[in-house]
Amino acid sequence: MKGTYLGEFEEVVLLAVAILAGDAYGASITNEIEQQMGRSVNLGAVHAALHRLEEKGLLSSRLGGATAERGGRSKRFFTVTMPGSKALDNIREIRNRMWSAIPRPI
Amino acid sequence: MRPCPPQWATRLLHWFCAPHLVNDLEGDLLELFTQRVHTYGVPEARRRYVRDVLSLIRPFALKKQPEKYPQPAFIQPAMIRNYLKIAFRNLAKHKMFSLINVMGLSAGMTACFLIALYVHFELTYDAFNQKAERIYRVAADVKTSSETLHYSISPWAMAINMQNEFPEVEAFARVQKEAALLRKGDLKFNEENTVLADSTLFTVFDFKLLKGNPKTALAAPLSLVLTETAARKYFGDSDPMGQTLLFGSNSEPAQVTGVMQDPPVNSQIKGDIFVSMSTYTSHQDKNIEREWGSFGAVAFVLLKPGTDPAAMQSKFPAFVQRHAGKKMAEQQMGIALVLEPLLDIYLHSTREAEESGSIDNVYIFSAVAIFIMLIACINFVNLTTARSVERAREVGVRKAVGAAKSALARQFIAESMLICVIAFLVSVLISAALIPGFNALADKAISEGILYELPFVGIQLAAALLTGLLAGIYPAFVLSSFEPVKVLKGRFTTSLKGIMLRKGLVTVQFAISITMIIATIVVYTQLDFMRNYDLGFSKEQTVVIEAGNGRHRDAFEASIQDYAGVKSAAASAAVPGGWNPQAYSKLENKSGEMQAGNMDVYRVDFDFMQQYGLKVVAGRAFSKQLSTDSIQSLMINEAAAKMLGYRSPEEAIGRKFDQWGRQGTIIGVVRDFHFKSLQENIKPLTFRVIDFWNGGLLSVKIDGTHVKQTLSAIENQWKTMHPDRPFSYYFLDEFYDRQYRADERFEALFLNFAALAIFISCLGLLGLASYSTVQRTKEIGVRKVMGASAASIVGLLSKDFLQLVGLAFLIAAPVAWFAMHRWLEGFAYQTDIRLWIFIAAALLSAFVALATISFQSIRAALMNPVKSLRSE
Repeated sequence: MKGTYLGEFEEVVLLAVAILAGDAYGASITNEIEQQMGRSVNLGAVHAALHRLEEKGLLSSRLGGATAERGGRSKRFFTVTMPGSKALDNIREIRNRMWSAIPRPI
Repeated sequence: MRPCPPQWATRLLHWFCAPHLVNDLEGDLLELFTQRVHTYGVPEARRRYVRDVLSLIRPFALKKQPEKYPQPAFIQPAMIRNYLKIAFRNLAKHKMFSLINVMGLSAGMTACFLIALYVHFELTYDAFNQKAERIYRVAADVKTSSETLHYSISPWAMAINMQNEFPEVEAFARVQKEAALLRKGDLKFNEENTVLADSTLFTVFDFKLLKGNPKTALAAPLSLVLTETAARKYFGDSDPMGQTLLFGSNSEPAQVTGVMQDPPVNSQIKGDIFVSMSTYTSHQDKNIEREWGSFGAVAFVLLKPGTDPAAMQSKFPAFVQRHAGKKMAEQQMGIALVLEPLLDIYLHSTREAEESGSIDNVYIFSAVAIFIMLIACINFVNLTTARSVERAREVGVRKAVGAAKSALARQFIAESMLICVIAFLVSVLISAALIPGFNALADKAISEGILYELPFVGIQLAAALLTGLLAGIYPAFVLSSFEPVKVLKGRFTTSLKGIMLRKGLVTVQFAISITMIIATIVVYTQLDFMRNYDLGFSKEQTVVIEAGNGRHRDAFEASIQDYAGVKSAAASAAVPGGWNPQAYSKLENKSGEMQAGNMDVYRVDFDFMQQYGLKVVAGRAFSKQLSTDSIQSLMINEAAAKMLGYRSPEEAIGRKFDQWGRQGTIIGVVRDFHFKSLQENIKPLTFRVIDFWNGGLLSVKIDGTHVKQTLSAIENQWKTMHPDRPFSYYFLDEFYDRQYRADERFEALFLNFAALAIFISCLGLLGLASYSTVQRTKEIGVRKVMGASAASIVGLLSKDFLQLVGLAFLIAAPVAWFAMHRWLEGFAYQTDIRLWIFIAAALLSAFVALATISFQSIRAALMNPVKSLRSE
């Protein structure tokens, strides 16, 4: 079992899956990240992160609907699992705690 | 039409991506592509598509989905570890076999490696010139009424006229090698490797000029371009540019206008000092470039790209006729010009050259390399199959637990490749150590060391792996096809077919080795024959001194005559074994006509005939008493008399001659002697008395007992008389035998490789013999118990192998005879291939084989039978 530590990019991908709520698959996630972060990302990086997250049990996937745009190829939809949302909450909590620990506002 | 993503990227994706992922990944890629076409346009979308595909080359995408029922993988690490372990255990367990295998193979590889270096060196001669494909030598064939002479040089007037009249010519460069005297203060050297060269030398050839302008360095008369070595010799570390050296016997000041890198060793044009050709053509001999009858300098022409040399050559006869037609008619000769490609000259041209290779030798040594490698491979195959019995059980067990035939074959091939790789490593070390010796043996700087030959090492590794594969295929095939049931029941015996094959291969090995032994002996006897052949003159105890011309020489000669060690002395312009000029001569022949032709000329003084022990068979020798002898007399050799049609030498006496400005009568005929090497027939030769301006060689016959003292006395005398010139001399016998150096090198190389071949064959024999004795341990034990003597057992064990050697001899003898007969045809005077050579070769190989086997057989025969019989 791999550790549940999340890298920065993994966190971003996980958040993107959460945002897309039910319509998260490789291409849409890539677009979402590009829009949110304002920089281009490689599909390979995204898929690698998805693969790792799934291995860690933070995401689950199923195959689903094909569109003409995809040349009739099916999509792999990702959803955040319970441990996944816990991990997100956890990160957020840690961040909040650390923010509040700053002695005076920056 | 809808824009498409790059097809090759999609294909790449399908190639590397795991099948269970490819579908949705390609879907994502396509979807992103379509969107990006809208937002960014087609080119950017395509770029991003490619980038995405490349970014997908990651472990997760490459990994295949585990299948439900695991298939044994093609390569399993555990099995490979096991194979390697077994291979190393086998090597360690049978140290003797492993050693023989590795030694044989590495010896073979080393020989191949060295020969490959040699062949490569020979084949790439002059190839460093980037324009080599377009460079041709213009050589001349001179036809006289009696013969055709093939010169590598050409008429002096040719180059300039050809350049003017042939638009195909891009540049011309002539070179002429000379010995020149160079002085700088106290330093004085007779530079034997001085080259007169046209200013275009650096345009035509790729010599690297380190200092100076390549266009003008050799333009002006008395310009010198030094090689780095020569520059260091004269100027040390200081800058030689613009400095002055005194050049030639007249000590003219010449300026250094350039420094060049030393020419590569595999260059036809070699020299230490390059002097501008104009020094000669527009300074020393101003009319020479108008001369069509005077030959000198090797002319190289650089043709423009796309020129057809054959078409150009077809225009030569008209060109020569136009310029030299009158002269040719006058002198009854014909000049034909020939274009020879630069790259073919070294190996293929038969014209005179300072250095020439032989394409035959390249073929011969390539064949030798292949044969030696073949012998080594045969060893390998033999030993491996012979040992198959021992591994039969292992094969049986492996098969019983489910090893496929292909897996076993792979295992054995991998094992043989492993051995080859070990042999390769050993051979690299041996080669590295042998390269300097090999250079000395071949007398060429073939390689500067193994580190400069890394591409060759790479090729050798590839060859080693290939050898492992080829040599391993047969044993692997044999071993992997054993039937497990039979093998494990213990009813396994080596098949008759296998034994026959092994015997056949041993025979082949020994046939090759015996052929090489016979060849070596024949080469040796031929060289011995040439060295001891009665040449018709005496060359012993003779020192030849480069004494200069005229009165100086006479004075020097007179001053040393009285020395105790000096028996006699004579001056001449040429000595046997060295170069002599040819002169256009007209001699009266039997029918009374003046027969014209180019004839070899010896210019000699009055003592020469006696000094060299030349016998005058008719007429008389030159005499000091007759003043007419030095201008109106000519002597010829028997070959010349025969050429003129005289049946006896006496008939030639008193006939008229006309040669090089002298007319008169033939006064004597000299018995034929070999003034050139024994590779050539004796050619017609004329003798005339030296003029005071030539005949710079002084032959001195000295007493054999005090050679050293006499020589140093002569040297001291030279130094007092000519303090400004170096004392250079050589022994005539060594000088003459130098003509056979190439053959001696050939002999030495051949001897070494023949020894290697027989060594490797014997290794194989040793392996097989030890194997068969082990197999027959019990039989020997029983025989001894029954009362067999040790001698009879040794005989029993040796007989089989000796039969093979005998058979090999029967195959080798005719092959060797045929090959060496061909080789000997290259010599005008050749020894016979006598019976004793074959007997010696047969005895030698039988003896070596017997000695090899006896290591094993004697030990087996002396073993106590109790030891071999006590088990079971």
